[in-house]
Amino acid sequence: MNTVKTCPEYAARLQTASDLFNKVKDEIKNGTLFKKNLVWLELTGCSGNIISLLDGANPDFKYLISQMTDFIYNNSLMAAEGETAMGKLMGITDKEYILAVEGAVATKNNGLYNVIGHWKGEPVTAFKAVKMLGEKASYVIALGACATHGGVSAAKPNPAGCVSVQSVLNRKVIKLPGCPCHPDWFLGTLAHILLYGEPDLDKRDRPLLFYNSLIHDRCPRRSFFDKGIFAKKLGESTCMFKLGCRGPVTRIDCPIRKWNQYVNWPIEDDTPCIGCAQFGFPDQMEPFITYNTTREVEE
Amino acid sequence: MTKRLVINPVTRISGFMEIDATIDNNTVVDVKTEGLLFRGFEKMLVGRNPLDAVYFTQRICGICSTAHSMASTLALEAAMGIVPTEQGRYLRDILHGCEFLQNHIRHFYQYTIPDFVRLPDKYPLYETDHNDFRLPKGKNDEIAEHYFESLDISRSAHEMLAVLGGKAPHNHGIFVGGITTQATTDKIIKIKSILHTIQQFIIGRMVTDAYAIAQYYSDYYKIGGGYGNLLSFGCFNGYKELGTLYVNPLVYSQGKVDVFNPGEITEEIDYSWYQDKMDEYKPMDTVPEADMCKRQAYSWVKAPRYNGIPYEVGPLARQWLSGEYRNGISTMDRTIARVLEAKKISEILNTLIENLIPGVSVQKEYTIPNSSSGAGLIDTTRGALGHWLKIEKEKLSFYQIITPSAWNLSTRGNNTMRGTAEQALMGTTIQNLQTPVELGRIIRSFDPCVSCATHVYSQGECIKAIQVIP
Repeated sequence: MNTVKTCPEYAARLQTASDLFNKVKDEIKNGTLFKKNLVWLELTGCSGNIISLLDGANPDFKYLISQMTDFIYNNSLMAAEGETAMGKLMGITDKEYILAVEGAVATKNNGLYNVIGHWKGEPVTAFKAVKMLGEKASYVIALGACATHGGVSAAKPNPAGCVSVQSVLNRKVIKLPGCPCHPDWFLGTLAHILLYGEPDLDKRDRPLLFYNSLIHDRCPRRSFFDKGIFAKKLGESTCMFKLGCRGPVTRIDCPIRKWNQYVNWPIEDDTPCIGCAQFGFPDQMEPFITYNTTREVEE
Repeated sequence: MTKRLVINPVTRISGFMEIDATIDNNTVVDVKTEGLLFRGFEKMLVGRNPLDAVYFTQRICGICSTAHSMASTLALEAAMGIVPTEQGRYLRDILHGCEFLQNHIRHFYQYTIPDFVRLPDKYPLYETDHNDFRLPKGKNDEIAEHYFESLDISRSAHEMLAVLGGKAPHNHGIFVGGITTQATTDKIIKIKSILHTIQQFIIGRMVTDAYAIAQYYSDYYKIGGGYGNLLSFGCFNGYKELGTLYVNPLVYSQGKVDVFNPGEITEEIDYSWYQDKMDEYKPMDTVPEADMCKRQAYSWVKAPRYNGIPYEVGPLARQWLSGEYRNGISTMDRTIARVLEAKKISEILNTLIENLIPGVSVQKEYTIPNSSSGAGLIDTTRGALGHWLKIEKEKLSFYQIITPSAWNLSTRGNNTMRGTAEQALMGTTIQNLQTPVELGRIIRSFDPCVSCATHVYSQGECIKAIQVIP
């Protein structure tokens, strides 16, 4: 008989997302829930969030496209191309759909620094597409640092004039910062929307499910911090605060969720958190690594 | 009578591109490949802490982030006078190898297969309007099933990367000196076990599926060749004890293999959106300012050249230069070479893992030099990647990046010689002008990464930037 009690944190990690997925599965099976259309736009960024989504295991991508949604549009994965692809994007505005956006909105030169397609002889800029689709979507989810606040695409001196998705839309945008966004953060939020509607959000529109505590609060190296034992170089097993760790200001659940099938995360890899899930990343989270342990750490 | 054919978006690539072809009598008589995303990483890096480049430049690309951590680390080591230990090199090359596998599996199944295999069209994502699907139903459906199986396998390649690299995409492991953490016995055996499953999949599914497609689409061995100039900066090479496990820095042109000379690299910008102050420059010379008003320009991608001419980079170039595959240079050869390379990389990973010593720390407390410069040149999944940097007053003062996709998807050069992929599209016969599947298939065989290719810096703007020709 197994008498070992599961750590409540560990249990919580598994529950937040997977309980929701299982409920979605049951309800769709029972006919009490219907699949929604999902449109995924890639704008000015690295397309790392769609790659991260493919890394999702709980549920996986096949489950997402077959059981949870009708996945209509994504530049990286769809079979159609050219006008056929654009036709699917243009045709969706008559229906109900959820819009997921990764990447920032390039505003320079009337948006021409990022053209996402060609329609009826004209270039379609990312700027134009996100405004058109964002206004009509039932929910807008900005995922990844570029979409939530500009991220690396808007890093100084912000040559493409990149801005967040929120700043070009007059409506509520659910924000999932991170570089990239963990697949569970997106899939858990999506499952919540399908089941119950919008999840509880904090003041900056992040789902409390995932963004309710600081990395520092759950960091396994917290005891070293409390005792004042600090690493002087990478690869050490003590607190990396003085090497530049941004765990104390970064609100996300990496210490308990971890990455890539929950196998590891930066601090367990003996590197500091670089604050990629925090608004202000990257400029306000730098330097990422410093050996000057006498420096004052500004908040 | 000529007809203009525009494909935009070219889907199942990373980033945004357009193919703009002129067709006469169903044949491509002129063509432009256009990169349509601009960011500006080279300018963003100026003034930052040099070590931050390892994490910062990874954000150029979500599918090949590890590549940039490798090139920036090598450039920093060159600038800081650091020689990593062999264990350090093995460790980071293992991470890099994991990325090759993730990339090649995803490229073959998620990006290439939908061109040749009919996927379940009850899913809107797989609806397409062309009808050139030639596999018998049984074989078609078997490969479609492998498409879904491959999702688990490519995901586990990222898991393997994260075991020693913290997370993926945008790993935290690769760093000056090797990697940040230590390989413990449990981590080594975990990687070995994941690798075993991946290798079984590559041998049992991927290679067979690629040859099945090649059998039914054998005409693609005849098209999409390009110039046939091949280049590699080398990778998994020059180990002190293991020698070269894959490919040394080499070039191939007109039937002859030569040693690669980094001094022969230039960039040209006559047909890209940059101010044309100089005809050509070497990587350390300058990063040109953008100019979207330039009349003849049509892309954000610049034109890297070796010895003044365009070269193809990537799996086929490496397979050819290492002598592993010499069947031919074409669309299908490129696809086969990528799949065979995945098998090769899985074998290299096994060798590297066997040579790991558990519990070795390769990190030190590093000092940033006041002033220095360095280059990091290495072959990554899509081909030859170079980072060049300068440090002044302990900060980055200059950063230049030339990506594999810039080599393959470049515009015309100053001598109006087309870019490699443009040349590969020339002369292609299109069966049905309503559904020109041939062009997308040829372009995707290069595995374009336009996010990488258009990381470039630009300033100026022009209201009438893109001319739409009726």
